This record gives sequence, structure tokens and C-alpha cells, in this order.
Amino acid sequence: MDNLDKLSVPKDPEQALAAVVALRRLADKVEAEAVSNALRQGWTWSRIAQALGISKQAAHKRLSVFAPLNTPQ
Amino acid sequence: MLNSFMTKFRNAQTIKTLCERAEAHALRDQQQEPGAEHFLLAALELEDDTARLAFSRAGAIPDGLHSAIEQQYSEALSSLGLPIGVTDRPTVSVASPAPNGVFSASVSGQDVMQELAKTRARHSPLLGSHIVAIVASMPHGVAARALRSMGVDLDDLRLSAEAVSRERKRA
Repeated sequence: MDNLDKLSVPKDPEQALAAVVALRRLADKVEAEAVSNALRQGWTWSRIAQALGISKQAAHKRLSVFAPLNTPQ
Repeated sequence: MLNSFMTKFRNAQTIKTLCERAEAHALRDQQQEPGAEHFLLAALELEDDTARLAFSRAGAIPDGLHSAIEQQYSEALSSLGLPIGVTDRPTVSVASPAPNGVFSASVSGQDVMQELAKTRARHSPLLGSHIVAIVASMPHGVAARALRSMGVDLDDLRLSAEAVSRERKRA
């Protein structure tokens, strides 16, 4: 995808809102994968939080379920 | 009196099983809070088998629900112009959240639970078909879209589920 102008938002509200839900879910999946990889590569929660633009507490609360086993808390 | 107590006890057990299974489906879907679609998947696994019977009578294949949920996400993204299959991300294993004694569900999941509570006087006992009837009466959301993509008429499914519940109550 070259740019977002190529995104076509459906005119039908049901379809457009379904697309929003699907995009959020896709973003959640990408976030889970990125956080899991970062922790595996030794990133701390502080670094992850800063990179995501959220507080360390918020990052840990929302994303710690994606931590690989034996990750320092 | 004893019957009423036993029914309440059984219903509490069913709700516990339902919530645990819905949560497990949500976690497999990398979501921390179960939605209506996860409760529907959980209802299809209840041992009373009434949810599956309601599906069959409405002409739907119960085992097709999971892939229909995935399919509607994929179709929704393709309606934006994103390629089919973009949702096929590698699965990151998800740990169960630390138990804090509070069950939390997403908004659609809360709607299911609230409707269950509102109609509890009619559940003797609580069955999978009751969950199906509640979810089938929700015209929007992931569950509704998935069911429609299976070719299911939501009203037909609701009526089938209500009929199954009535028959089971009489039996």
C-alpha cells in the first residue's frame, strides 16, 4: 500500500464500522507480536512504554499477558 | 424448594463454565476480554448440546462459526482495500491474566451477561440455547456479521434457540 489515500472507506455504515473493528484487532495483533519480540530481545517495559507513547504502568497492565515466560517484570 | 436450589446451583456452575470457556476463546484470539462471539463459541461447547441443536435447526453448521468469525474480519479489511490474509499474523501465545476475582468482558460480552441476568427467571436450567437466543438478538457486531456470513438468518436462529430451550424445559 503506497499511501492511505488508497484506503476506500465503505459508504455502508455496517461495513465501515466492521472495518474499524477489524483494523483495531489487527493493530492489537501487531502490537502483541511487537511487544513479545521486544521483550525477547531484552527490552525493558520502560523502553517499550516510551516507544508506544504510553506509561510503563499502562504498558505492563495491558500487555504483560504477551510476555514470553521468564521475562523480568 | 430443593429443586429451585439445585437449579440455581447448576446455573451458577454453567455460568462459571461459560465465562471460563469464553475467556479461553478470547485469549486464543489475542483479546483479553471475551465478546459476544466468544460466548457463542463457549455456548456451542456446553455439554447440554442445545446451542448446537439450535444452530442445526437454523441450517447452520456449528463448527463453522470460528472460521466465519475470522472470515468476517478478513472481509472487513478487504472492504478498505487491504489484501485478504493480512490478518493472518503469527500467533503470540497469551498468558491468562492474573486472577483478581473479577471477571471482565468486552462491551458485547457484558451485554450478553446482562441479558442473561435479566432473563434468569426463565432459565430452569440455564442452557446453551439461551446464550444463542441472546446473541442472535444482537443485530450488529462481530457475532452478527459472522452468523450472516454463514448464511444464518438471525431471527431464524433466535426462534430455533427459543424453541429448543422450551422443549428442553418441558422434557
